[in-house]
Amino acid sequence: MKSIIEVRNYTKKYGDFTAVDDVSFEVEEGSIFAFLGPNGAGKSTTINTLCTMMEKTAGTLLIDGKDVSTEKDAVRQAIGVVFQSQTLDEKMTVSENLKMHCVFYGVPKKEVKDRINFVLDLVDLVDWQNKSVSSLSGGMKRRVEIARALLHYPKVLFLDEPTTGLDPQTRNRMWEYITRLQKEKNITIFLTTHYMDEAEICDKVAIMDDGKIMVNDTPENLKRLYTKDKAIVQVSNSDLFEAALNRDEHTYKRDKETFYIDIDSIQHFLEFIEPFKNEINNLEIKKGTLNDVFLEITGKEIREESAQ
Amino acid sequence: MRTITALWLRNIRGFVRDRVKLITSLIIPFFFLYIFRSIFKTDQVEDPTAFLLAGIIVATVFQTSLNIATSTIDDTVSGYMKEILVSPTSRFQVALGQILSAATIATTQGILILIIGFFTGLSFDHWYTFIYVLLILMLVGLVFSGLGLFLASMVKSSSTFQVVQQAVVLPFTFLSGAYIPLAFLPNVLRSFAYFNPMTYTTAIFRTIMLEKGGLTQTEWVELGLAFDLNGFIITPWMSGIIIIAFGALFLFLATNAFVRADFNKISRSPGES
Repeated sequence: MKSIIEVRNYTKKYGDFTAVDDVSFEVEEGSIFAFLGPNGAGKSTTINTLCTMMEKTAGTLLIDGKDVSTEKDAVRQAIGVVFQSQTLDEKMTVSENLKMHCVFYGVPKKEVKDRINFVLDLVDLVDWQNKSVSSLSGGMKRRVEIARALLHYPKVLFLDEPTTGLDPQTRNRMWEYITRLQKEKNITIFLTTHYMDEAEICDKVAIMDDGKIMVNDTPENLKRLYTKDKAIVQVSNSDLFEAALNRDEHTYKRDKETFYIDIDSIQHFLEFIEPFKNEINNLEIKKGTLNDVFLEITGKEIREESAQ
Repeated sequence: MRTITALWLRNIRGFVRDRVKLITSLIIPFFFLYIFRSIFKTDQVEDPTAFLLAGIIVATVFQTSLNIATSTIDDTVSGYMKEILVSPTSRFQVALGQILSAATIATTQGILILIIGFFTGLSFDHWYTFIYVLLILMLVGLVFSGLGLFLASMVKSSSTFQVVQQAVVLPFTFLSGAYIPLAFLPNVLRSFAYFNPMTYTTAIFRTIMLEKGGLTQTEWVELGLAFDLNGFIITPWMSGIIIIAFGALFLFLATNAFVRADFNKISRSPGES
């Protein structure tokens, strides 16, 4: 597979502070790439540099083979960007916003109308094109922004927290659009998100912390490498059970009468718990999630961060 | 070229849709006219209403042109500037689109006040005066839109800008002779006025609008249309050239500053990015 984004030894400093420290990664063409990390990890800095909105301190960043510092216009033409904060012109209507975009990206005049219909159809907003942007809901505005970013047929679509602040239903719809785009148009999607269940759908997940990329792999591999399945157990005689856990050298946490036990091998765990089967009040086996991976790598819970 | 026209249309459309702003900007000049007419009664001028109206029109065009800065900063704060700047369109064209639309809006307002002025007794001896007035207003609009865009590109936040705007608008209008004739000012302030581009703008505009082009130097100086700097007379026509020079300077500074400006730095929330 061809790499559409190549980042080599990218460093960004603000005075003495190093926001991004010698980072290298690649993104395959046609894939969905999730870029995670706590706030202040350097995600937005990286995205802004890739989008030609910010100068790097050192390194090489290529999009579709073009350098983001020296071939700005070619890179700008090749990407569509949906920023974290809204960038629509609220005073204008939906279609006026889209028309302006076509002007800025030099879309041929006779194609403008068809393209606007095409992208609005993609996000189910054809009936809303003559409404003023200020009259739309938050989710609709996001959809307009995604539609707008697609008007010039970009090769890479950057989505900086596309679903933050949206209700679960709208989030689901948004993901339908995103995956449909990737499949039908073979657009590479580069996104950041605070929702781990969303990262789960992506082809590759990179986790950034303190200006470095800590891991970059498929969600499956990450979970296999960084998490263990956990058993959550409640028994009638907790002290006796805890003694047995210690005797058998299990790693566990006790919270009052509930035990959280790391499982290395399911067979071994079943043998261990067999003698307690009549005393078990509750037993739940939890698979490792990306949230656990995130915690393991950054030592921070992502939900706390997103609460800001 | 498409970017220039599209941005021009967008800004004009925004202006037309904002009715309240349009109407207040037409009422305020007449409020000023009313106030200053009652304060300033002079025997020097045969038609004080027309004299003041000319000053008010030029001051309005000046202030409206500077609104380009507010609208550019608004676009930055609302995020729309990011959409423009992440696109491959040329920043130079964006700057020109902004300047031309601001100049158009400012000129239109000046003309509207002039038209209302006709109903309050203003009249021209020659029909072509109207054409000259229109041309000079366009020039004034361009010059000060350039200044406005330059200020907008230099400022880091919208609250700083409000202070800067006050600091520019007040001395520029009140030390220019537009409302209060320079002859009424104390000497210190009058010497400040000679460094104010608005002084020369007012002089040339008044000369044209009041059809005083054919007067002698002494008559011009008496009416405050020419300035006597230790024996050297700056005629209204020289004022015109001074304005064109200021305009070229402002437009150069503005496009330069705009092309280089880092609009990432003006953000709406401190925590972002």
